[in-house]
Amino acid sequence: MLLPRLRLLAAAVVLLLLAYLGARGAGTAPPLGSFLEPANGVWALARSAELPALHQATIPGLTAPVEVLYDDRGVPHVFAKTEEDAWRAQGYLIARDRLFQMELQTRASAGTLSELIGDDALEADRTARRRGLPWAAERIAAAADSSSLISRATTAYAEGVNAWIDGMRGAELPLEYRLLGARPSHWEPRHTTYFFFQMALTLAYQDETLSRLRVRALVGEAATEALFPLHSPIVEPIQPNGAGAPRYDFIRPMPGPGAPDSSAAVAAEERESVNLALGWSIRRGGDGDVIGSNNWTVAPSRTAAGYPLLSGDPHLGLTVPSIWYEIHLHAEDGLDAAGVTFAGTPGVIIGFNRNLAWSFTNTGADVRDHYAEMVDDDRNPTKYRLDGEWKPLEIKVEEFRGQQGRLLAADTLRFTHRGPMVKTGSRWLSTRWTAFESRGGEEFLRIDRAASVGEWLEAWKGYAAAAQNGVVADRSGSIAIRSTGWYPVRPGSGRGDEIRDGSTTSSDWSGYVAPEHYPFSLNPAQGFLASANQEPVDPRQNGRYFGSNWPSPWRAMQINRLLRADSSVTPDAMRQFQTSPGSPRADVFVPALLAAARGRADLSPAASLLAEWDRRYTKDNHHAVLFEAAMSELGRLIWDELIPPADRADSAARPVASPSEAIVMQLLSDSGSAWWDNRRTADRETRDDILAEALRRGMTRAIAEHGPQDGEGWIWSKVQHANIYHPLRMPALSALDLPVQGGPSTLSPSSGRGLAGASWRMVVELGPEVRAWGTYPGGQSGNPASTRYLDRIPKWVGGELDTLRFPKSAAELSADLVRSRLTLTAGSPR
Amino acid sequence: MKKATGFLALVLAFFLATWLVWWAVPAVALLWGGLRPAVKRPAFAAAVAAGAAWAMWLVVDGFAGGSALTTLATRLGGVLSLPAYGLFALTVIFPALLAWSATALAGGIADVFSPRSGDTR
Repeated sequence: MLLPRLRLLAAAVVLLLLAYLGARGAGTAPPLGSFLEPANGVWALARSAELPALHQATIPGLTAPVEVLYDDRGVPHVFAKTEEDAWRAQGYLIARDRLFQMELQTRASAGTLSELIGDDALEADRTARRRGLPWAAERIAAAADSSSLISRATTAYAEGVNAWIDGMRGAELPLEYRLLGARPSHWEPRHTTYFFFQMALTLAYQDETLSRLRVRALVGEAATEALFPLHSPIVEPIQPNGAGAPRYDFIRPMPGPGAPDSSAAVAAEERESVNLALGWSIRRGGDGDVIGSNNWTVAPSRTAAGYPLLSGDPHLGLTVPSIWYEIHLHAEDGLDAAGVTFAGTPGVIIGFNRNLAWSFTNTGADVRDHYAEMVDDDRNPTKYRLDGEWKPLEIKVEEFRGQQGRLLAADTLRFTHRGPMVKTGSRWLSTRWTAFESRGGEEFLRIDRAASVGEWLEAWKGYAAAAQNGVVADRSGSIAIRSTGWYPVRPGSGRGDEIRDGSTTSSDWSGYVAPEHYPFSLNPAQGFLASANQEPVDPRQNGRYFGSNWPSPWRAMQINRLLRADSSVTPDAMRQFQTSPGSPRADVFVPALLAAARGRADLSPAASLLAEWDRRYTKDNHHAVLFEAAMSELGRLIWDELIPPADRADSAARPVASPSEAIVMQLLSDSGSAWWDNRRTADRETRDDILAEALRRGMTRAIAEHGPQDGEGWIWSKVQHANIYHPLRMPALSALDLPVQGGPSTLSPSSGRGLAGASWRMVVELGPEVRAWGTYPGGQSGNPASTRYLDRIPKWVGGELDTLRFPKSAAELSADLVRSRLTLTAGSPR
Repeated sequence: MKKATGFLALVLAFFLATWLVWWAVPAVALLWGGLRPAVKRPAFAAAVAAGAAWAMWLVVDGFAGGSALTTLATRLGGVLSLPAYGLFALTVIFPALLAWSATALAGGIADVFSPRSGDTR
């Protein structure tokens, strides 16, 4: 009697428990029922991992059938009647491969991540909305002309994305949605704007002004101007200056540390506060992950085949799936471009067409300013003072919701005519940024159709943010480069590194620098053009303020060195340049370290090791470990004055900001500079004392961290890796510990935690038939079950490139290269 | 022979029900248990049938996706901190437990309201 009832009770309890786990999951585990069930659950992803040989689908609004051929590398070639149909198909195809990535990226920019990934993202969402990009995106959407190119493109693209979402089978729901227990949202045209804004944010470097203020607080203004000069002390500009070699504009003697500036300390706190409120980086420089894009082009006069060559090598934070998606768009009304696009944007962003090729690097211009505003009520302002009148603030109450639509928080945000306004300490500061005023990336669509360098430059002219160094070459043999973006024209000094008085419009930008004054070069006598994020123009030739955050131009020096030395460049040489292990930085500092070690017997082993090094960051070298350790110690020893006095007793304390290594190079020529003295000691050290001590400590540190110098621990491939994470930081879906050639300051910079690197490598030869090669880390598919998820990693690690197919018609792609055929027709999704 | 056919029919029922939605598994099991089938251990039979049905679906996924299923299991196992075989096992055990408990519950309730001849209260 009792036993059956107990069994009944046990069965009921088990069933209820399983039903709960099946429907709701537990903790971070997804609902087990829909997750595990193999018909439509996670296992079904195996069935959709590979492309079917032949299939059909429908997209509303198509004016004619679209044929899509996937080639042997999983790249879709889209053959459509009109460009709008091509963008519709593009939206469909990218959603099919990268739907979760698309939604995650745009939600990060829109400040709605919590709705997808849960409450943990609330603070990130609040910061994103305070930053003002969603506000700007709404304004752009409201002001959009529906007949404009960008509106037509983003609308068509959204139709394609939504056709995929609406027709998607349960079995095709991406893994990440299953893990999060979420469903995809519909795509709106403005989501493309969100994505471009996210890129503008990514490419807005750390705040140099904050570094300057922190340093000024410790060592005064003159020293700060010397350590963080407006212009790069090594002059190797993007716009060739005719010198044919780097020029060194070194200050001798360099001003030493001065008296602390307490007003700068207050300003630094305020600046840090506003940066934190708006989510801008406040890192102190130094050993971070270096992002360093490169591009260059060679005129026919300097290539082996007599055709122009172009290399695109944009570097970004690395993710799996890649930020890029490779595609070829062909429309009968003239569009015929191939290359890479972002998962979320129509058109081709970096690539080539039948006539020309192009690529970008980030300019890093200063295009963001702060204004101190006078408000009517310090606690709850509704108006701000402008030219003697009270102007109403635009006030928005922003609601933040969680995964099930639950209200998590509500913030009141305020905006002036300049942009978002936040309270920092005792003041209200507003921010103006060129990104707020951009048109959402229309220029990327125009350049896809350009037929010559001249047309390309004209099409690209109106591009706003983030400013880009665009390099272009065409089949006629023209090459050009231009740093394009909206550069504010500011009153007074014209500099953007001060907080301006917001109570008057006379503080406002009076416009933007005219395109004819942008850093620019067309068919220079030197026969090549290159950029690597360095200062774009020689200040002696163009004194306009474009910014001050110029990295040491080691990579530019290396590209130019390689290109100057080779007057018969081949496509394969271009490929090899992309991962060149040579380092002008090592060429400067290794001899200096060796000279300082001379005559110091205790340094003989370290000096011998360093002298043996060919200064190339190859995977198998045993010496870069020592050099990097010594350089790290050198920075600590030189910049002790930039550690707050209260922290100096702490040997692990770091400077408030680190000047560039170009400044250290400048100091090498001034052996008695006060900066060489280590204030932690009673003695007065000279240059060679510090260099020798850096080498000594570097050797000790290298052995401590990597074992004996003749052991495997010193092999560069064991030390420096690329680590490409899935956006949700799940190691099992990532590609980690990848040994790559290159080190800090090489053309393929590898540093820090290895989270940044070459996001797309491309070489194009513009001969009678355009030939192109390329790859990116990752794969076309976002489905971890697919062979196309990580298939490009091995070649990327090895610095190899694939041949890119570029058929003129569907029939031209030979059958043995076609892996899948998709026909898209007009109609409601299945 | 009849028993084997009945069992295969049950497997097929779970297989098809799964194609609709996962909770169709306990629904079928409740129905099966409520009918009080003339088999020796109905809850156990349901458990085996449901596990077999989901295993059959895994075979379908494996055939359709080739090596994708094992790739997926490995990566997914990494995400969930489980070995790949553990995930496969979980995929079979989950419907088995659902079916067992639902069948046992339905059968027990049916017995309460309509005792079989020979049952005692």
